[in-house]
Amino acid sequence: MSSSTGNILEIHDLHVEVEGKELLHGINLAIPEGQVHALMGPNGSGKTSLMMTIMGFSAYKVTRGQIIFDGRDITGLSVTERARLGIAIAQQRPPTIVGVKLRAVLDYIVAHDSISAEEVTQLVRQARVENFLDRDINAGLSGGEIKRAELVQLLATCPRFSMMDEPESGVDLDSLALVGSLVNRLFVRDSCRPVRRRSGLIVTHTGHILKYIEADRAHIMLDGRIGCSGNPHLVLQTIAERGYAECVCCMNEGA
Amino acid sequence: MAKSLNTVDVVAPDEVQTLADVGVQIRPDEPQVRAGTYVLRDHLPLCVQTYREGLEMMPIAEALRRYDWLRERYYWKLISPDQDEVTRQVAAEAEPQGYFIWVRQGTRITRPAQAGLFISHEGLSQKLHNVVVLEDDTELHLITGCTTGRAVRSGYHLAVNEAYVGANATLTFTMVHSWGPEVIVRPRAAVAVGDHSHYINNYVSLRPALDIQSNPRTYLNGVRATAKYMTVILGSRGSIIDTGGEVWLNGEDSGAELVHRGVCTGGKMYQRGFLVGNARCRAHVDCAGMLLDPGEDGFIESVPGLRSFHPEAQMSHEASVGKVAPEQVEYLMSRGMEEHEAISMIIRGFLDADIEGLSAELDARIGEIAALAGHGERK
Repeated sequence: MSSSTGNILEIHDLHVEVEGKELLHGINLAIPEGQVHALMGPNGSGKTSLMMTIMGFSAYKVTRGQIIFDGRDITGLSVTERARLGIAIAQQRPPTIVGVKLRAVLDYIVAHDSISAEEVTQLVRQARVENFLDRDINAGLSGGEIKRAELVQLLATCPRFSMMDEPESGVDLDSLALVGSLVNRLFVRDSCRPVRRRSGLIVTHTGHILKYIEADRAHIMLDGRIGCSGNPHLVLQTIAERGYAECVCCMNEGA
Repeated sequence: MAKSLNTVDVVAPDEVQTLADVGVQIRPDEPQVRAGTYVLRDHLPLCVQTYREGLEMMPIAEALRRYDWLRERYYWKLISPDQDEVTRQVAAEAEPQGYFIWVRQGTRITRPAQAGLFISHEGLSQKLHNVVVLEDDTELHLITGCTTGRAVRSGYHLAVNEAYVGANATLTFTMVHSWGPEVIVRPRAAVAVGDHSHYINNYVSLRPALDIQSNPRTYLNGVRATAKYMTVILGSRGSIIDTGGEVWLNGEDSGAELVHRGVCTGGKMYQRGFLVGNARCRAHVDCAGMLLDPGEDGFIESVPGLRSFHPEAQMSHEASVGKVAPEQVEYLMSRGMEEHEAISMIIRGFLDADIEGLSAELDARIGEIAALAGHGERK
């Protein structure tokens, strides 16, 4: 069921603080069902904070505003409840947990979600994560390995709305193709009439990942606000040519 | 040989379940899964059965009557009756209670033998003296499950445990405790290990008693003798749990590894591990604790220690106390787990970490601790 607005995600005037410091200062964002948006911006602009807040991590405290998912206000829901509504995140630096194996998490997903053990086995092979299935989760993995481990978990839960924090960072060019194809699989078509894929939000610094996954729209974040939004190619091109400084000027002019 | 009725006929169904919770399986196909069974209810041995040649199990009083050498060589030889109040009380019993287990030379037994010791009456005192003798070239896995009946809240469990492991022998001693909330538990244990022999001591406390002190001492007397301790404890509000162990490395090239994992959901928890190096040896103590909603005055005190008498004794220790990190819990929640499921998985991982060759019995018990702890509230 899609909401009456057709947006899978709506964010209204979102203010968020971490350890008493406000990092997001009134974010407004709408992502229509079936669209994948890209989120760009310099380090420290709040991209990760926005994703972590959408997922509901408790370190990110919403002090004002609302997050609406599929027409429902989820601002007060737990991480578990959000995950079960179909929201998922691939973190850039997921925690390591001593003694907890990636296999145990995948086993949990098989036991509780609709995916079968065979399908997960196949996914594991395709994502090339066999070698660290029985190692402590996220421990001692390279950048590319972390992405693959995160993506396997997302693919296994088949989320309606996937968030990815810099899927290309720390990934060498060879692995990027693999990561790109896994990301692409997350947004496969999920209905025919209308033709529509699954939705998501991708944080990217370089835009490399956009060669593998077509984004419908790009947003630029600066200092805890969304500065401007537009066609992903145009936005990328502007940043490539003039950097974020141009965006800062542009925002200041607007203000 | 003290043959009794079939075990399934003498143990009541609710007691069968209580014993199963601590790893003691009373069932019709017992001979296929166990090498022998000894069950003591209160002061009465309910059943004694052995299913294996070369293995003898019997009440200690009967063994003392039957074998003079038991008193001459083993009984009260590792632990002195005057050691403390516990040993004095056990020594003062007119007719000693407890088991004697004897594995004859050359007998290697893969299936575990089991001893169930349980208190079925409120406030009862069990005073036990258990002796285990493994002759040369033997192997035994002994599971001792100590517990109280469902309705029993209080009682005393005082025990003197002496074990002798000959040469080229392996004794695995897995003790699983699950006590009523006001039970006081005082095992006093000592083990002597001979040349090229191994002693593995596993201790798991599931339902914490009011007050437990369990610090078994092992003397590695033989050349290349080894000891491995694995202690897994769940502490809860109001309990005082002081566990761990001591290993005396007396034999050349002996080795020991002591691992202690404690989860504190309240109460006082002491994690101990003490090594005494009397010869060229290698040994390590590793204590790690996790504080999970310990309340006002709950704590973990981690006390690894080393005493070296020999320049070539290589000994080391490490200790850490931490909490379940919220970002770890939420990471797992973001895959759809409930908070308590996530906490259980993390605790399970913490307890499992670095334990190789965990037996299925112990593995199941650790799973229970993790599940219990996961249901506590997180702060």
